[in-house]
Amino acid sequence: MVARSALNPRFTFFDLFLVVVLSLIGIVTVYPVLYIVAVSFSDTASIVQNKVFLWPKGFNLDAYRKIIEEPKIPRAYLNTIMYTGLGTFINLLMTAVAAYPLSRPGFFGRKYFMIAIVLTMFLSGGIIPTYLIVQKLHMIDTIWAIVIPNAIWTVELLILKSFYESMSGSLRESALIDGASEYRILFNIVIPLSKPALASIGLFYFMGHWNSFFIPMIYLNDPKMLPLQVVLRDMLFFDTTQQNSLIEQSTITPQAMKNATIFVSMVPVLLIYPFAQKYFAKGIMLGSEKG
Amino acid sequence: MQTTSTELPAGRKRKTPGSGLSSVWRHIVRDRQLLILFIPCIIFFVLFRYGPIYGLIIAFKDYNVYQGIMGSEWVGLEHFRRFFEGPDFWLLFRNTLLLGLFTLLWAFPFPILFAVLLNEVRSIRFKKTIQTFSYLPAFLSVVIVSSMIIDFLSPTHGLVNEVIKFFGFEPKYFLASSEWFRTIYISSDIWQHMGYDAIIYLAAIASIDPTLYEAAKVDGASRFHMMRYITIPSIMPTILIMFILKSGAMFRIGYEKVLLLYSPMTYDVADVFSTYVYRKGLLETNYSYAAAVGLFESLIALVMLLISQFISKRAGGRGLW
Repeated sequence: MVARSALNPRFTFFDLFLVVVLSLIGIVTVYPVLYIVAVSFSDTASIVQNKVFLWPKGFNLDAYRKIIEEPKIPRAYLNTIMYTGLGTFINLLMTAVAAYPLSRPGFFGRKYFMIAIVLTMFLSGGIIPTYLIVQKLHMIDTIWAIVIPNAIWTVELLILKSFYESMSGSLRESALIDGASEYRILFNIVIPLSKPALASIGLFYFMGHWNSFFIPMIYLNDPKMLPLQVVLRDMLFFDTTQQNSLIEQSTITPQAMKNATIFVSMVPVLLIYPFAQKYFAKGIMLGSEKG
Repeated sequence: MQTTSTELPAGRKRKTPGSGLSSVWRHIVRDRQLLILFIPCIIFFVLFRYGPIYGLIIAFKDYNVYQGIMGSEWVGLEHFRRFFEGPDFWLLFRNTLLLGLFTLLWAFPFPILFAVLLNEVRSIRFKKTIQTFSYLPAFLSVVIVSSMIIDFLSPTHGLVNEVIKFFGFEPKYFLASSEWFRTIYISSDIWQHMGYDAIIYLAAIASIDPTLYEAAKVDGASRFHMMRYITIPSIMPTILIMFILKSGAMFRIGYEKVLLLYSPMTYDVADVFSTYVYRKGLLETNYSYAAAVGLFESLIALVMLLISQFISKRAGGRGLW
């Protein structure tokens, strides 16, 4: 009996159990996101009376109109785009260039450089000395504080290095025979051939910048420079403190505004992530092999 | 690493680095282009990775902005003494340890279980859909996740309290009560990372030799038998590695989520080393004292890592290095 059912798959009780349990997990993971979207499109009365569960009630776009009108959130959005764009570009450039010498077997001092780099995964000075150095370099309240102090992530550097190593050396070799310089080999051969790996680590960098809140929070004081996540964080505390008093004066609840802001901040991530999963999986695998 | 001397330019013969300065110099000259490419990386690591480690000497000084790291006065172990003798030390130690330990113990099995169950699903489309859903939360920022937690647990409009009220109980202000903090922290952690952490186990399962299952089927093994005797033993090495990694990192609790969720009302369980360092150092600008606490924290974290490495090597497993 057992053997037969295993050979000819029938829909058993266990299959039913799987479908139920996994569907529940699926619902639980997605529900909070749907709830945010539903609240952001609902009218004030429905939100205050707790009528919103899954779909928007009394559909309206007031919250979105409001966050567009207020200069604060469009500005924060632009800041986030700027930090993420420039930051990811610098990350990729620095990592792609740094990984190349490290991937060359005979590179001068390679072993010692590698030890020094890997050590930083286990030893770090922590936030206070890092902050003081960034301060010393006069980077506070500039975009450089966001994009430079984490320009290379050690794990991504090691991932890219092992990717370079796995590439066939023959193209590089023939280019060298033709008298090409290392710079040309790197930028004209190695980097173009590494697009999949660069896409994979680029996604990690992108997500890191897009979602980062602690770094901009400590390095930026100028309210005009804050990215979306920091502005969002300030809105979190509306919830319990000011909500009830504000409802009287305004037609839009802070909750709807907060959730509208969350939703617009999630849009790029939601658009990218289903396509990005194969790159992410690859990145995780490579990263874990390196340990 | 795999490729050997074939990698080297044909025209330039590999010199086995002999002794003496001249051979070092030749090596540098040969690799000058690579070294130039490597300069930004060196500057970066020196400034932003080793610089802060050097900067830790302020833990033994009385740092002030005008005199800088070099010029400030030495005070020896004064900051450490103040920290160890002060009232905060044991509280922080306990909180950090317990939050890390409980997160490890509770959150660790979920991705494994999830991956094993997902692997049993026969419909590929259903499997793909659930998996795609499952790691959506990992892509959300801590701020968004914290906002969701605050909303769902809100005493005035949160869904959880609506359910509680529906059953006729009093609504609870979860985020203001210490006894709920760890539960909230850990369960939201599971929610956010289960699907993402399962990726690695799913990949390990995918690499199991299918003939094992076929042979087991022929021998009349049930699906439970195959899970128990093929799937789980096959991914055991991955499970062990992940466990070492996670237990080594146990003491490194991210300050971000704690910072967003705690309040003075829950400091007695929620305040950990990293958040304390942030408050003392960056908010109260007690740089030296905070650096001392941070140094102590990193030392403990390093010791934890070495211990887990040692245990795994002793147990015959593959270590991290």
